[in-house]
Amino acid sequence: MKKTLSEKEVIALTNRVLAESFEIEEERLLPEKRIFADLGLDSLDTVDLVVALQKRFSITIREDERVRSIRSLGDLYTYIMTVQQEQQAGTEG
Amino acid sequence: MDRYDQVVIGSGVSGLTASVLLAQGGRKVLLLEKAPTIGGALTRFYREGVPFDTGFHFTGGFADDGLLHEMSKVLGIRDAIVPIVLSPDAAFRFIFEEDGRVYDFPYGIPRLLERLQEYFPADAAGIRQYFGMLKQVWDRTGAMELAAVLSSAMSTAVINEDHTSLQSVLDDLLDSPYLKTLVSAFCMCYGVKPTEVSFANHSRMCHGLYESVARIEGGGGAFIQAFARRLTELGVDVRCGRHVAECADIRGDAVHRFILNTGEEVELESCVLTIHPKEVLKILPKRLLSPAFVTRISDFESSCGFFTVFGVVEAGCKDDAIEKSIVSLLPSTDVNEMLDPWHEGDSALVVIGSVEDVAGVPVKTRCAFEPSFMTEVAEWTDSRTGRRSPGYLEYKRKRAARMQERMNALLDEQKGCFRLRASASVLTYRDHLHSPDGSAYGVKQKLGQINLLGKLPVRNMYIAGQSAVLPGVLGAMLSSFFVTRAVLGKATFGNILLTGGC
Repeated sequence: MKKTLSEKEVIALTNRVLAESFEIEEERLLPEKRIFADLGLDSLDTVDLVVALQKRFSITIREDERVRSIRSLGDLYTYIMTVQQEQQAGTEG
Repeated sequence: MDRYDQVVIGSGVSGLTASVLLAQGGRKVLLLEKAPTIGGALTRFYREGVPFDTGFHFTGGFADDGLLHEMSKVLGIRDAIVPIVLSPDAAFRFIFEEDGRVYDFPYGIPRLLERLQEYFPADAAGIRQYFGMLKQVWDRTGAMELAAVLSSAMSTAVINEDHTSLQSVLDDLLDSPYLKTLVSAFCMCYGVKPTEVSFANHSRMCHGLYESVARIEGGGGAFIQAFARRLTELGVDVRCGRHVAECADIRGDAVHRFILNTGEEVELESCVLTIHPKEVLKILPKRLLSPAFVTRISDFESSCGFFTVFGVVEAGCKDDAIEKSIVSLLPSTDVNEMLDPWHEGDSALVVIGSVEDVAGVPVKTRCAFEPSFMTEVAEWTDSRTGRRSPGYLEYKRKRAARMQERMNALLDEQKGCFRLRASASVLTYRDHLHSPDGSAYGVKQKLGQINLLGKLPVRNMYIAGQSAVLPGVLGAMLSSFFVTRAVLGKATFGNILLTGGC
């Protein structure tokens, strides 16, 4: 059974995806950074980011209001925490 | 140096569609094709003067308001395409080899619904629910009418059924293993297992085939001729035997010049690629691609390919069943197994008949297909067509013989009538059609997958093709409608839809 990751693990893994997949320096990966404006991703990159995150966390990311409201890296960490908990609960139930 | 507004790469049905639409939108277009002639999988080949189709054999969507009919009208090729409609009562015939059970699919959705309930009365309620779910998907995708489909943003909008597998719907609603096999057998028409495909995509693929099924007079060749005429009328330049060797003059994340394999150079404003996604990685300048993009494309899996036998029916032999129906022989009720690359033993075998005019004489031809994968020919993957080993030729001979044996066992009228003229493995398709892995439907469109469609990470490059929206001729054409709309803008594109091929 898959275990739910801690917040610290989610942050570390998300940062690794961003660093490896988009060649962003680790020191710029701070919760307050905005994904588009500060980290330089564009709308095309978001699809690749979604695919990479789905693979790394074994989760399904659906385009909904919660995804659309993500602005900062901190928002992204929170979103992934929530989704992995929801989907983990789903597979156990 | 020649300068073009648009370069289209790949001249399969998607590239041909994009070229015509862009030229109709007033753009100066260059179409590049790696093979010696245009057409991609629409191409026919000849044995002793008899034509055989490689990749295009039948299609749905040609009913009067069908999507393929509508798109062909806009492209100005509709009049040149003559559908030969199959038996209304048994367009598809399925034969289970283990016990000889036979089921016929009529076309027309209400009739099919009725027929399935007659065949499987104990499952009647589930069948109605299943068709109810299909209808929901069709309605949300604009009921597969062109204008509605284009405005439904089918390419990007995700609905619940995109996250549910076909297998889970079958298991929830239906009981009979035969019935589950029958409603999922069209997985062969896009090469993805029921456990791996979303219910939504399966529904979209089935719509046209449930509505009407037709062969085309002259096969894929009729499409090629019709498109070739339009390309000439519209002043599209076509260069075959060419591919992009290098992207040059890269400024502002855009490519402004291509250097071709022949050394020719062309300037471009923008480009539409209609080739396999994995081939795209070979063209785009690496420094403009994120590792995330490269990984995403590299992770795409191949859809199934086919092992095919091509032959003619002896004059005087009677095999009406195959002339009127597309006949599938099913070795079991496990469609997942039939589409598994590691499956050993018989797979589904689909037989399609046609009558071709050979110097004024009608000749009956037959093609039979079985899903096949690279795993099967792994030891010969480094060989090229024309230079294969005896072991490979023996593999082909045995497989072709086994397919004929199965046809003879169950199709009485066929016995002793079929004369083999050629056979093709996934390696044959790979080498002749430039399809990586010899896959018939591009990359596998799996549950939850985000396909590659539209803008690429290079600012002035776009991608369309059968891997982008839906597999097959209809999906490939549709993807080019989506992409051309993005390139030309809604106003110009709207005019093309209104004025069509005029």
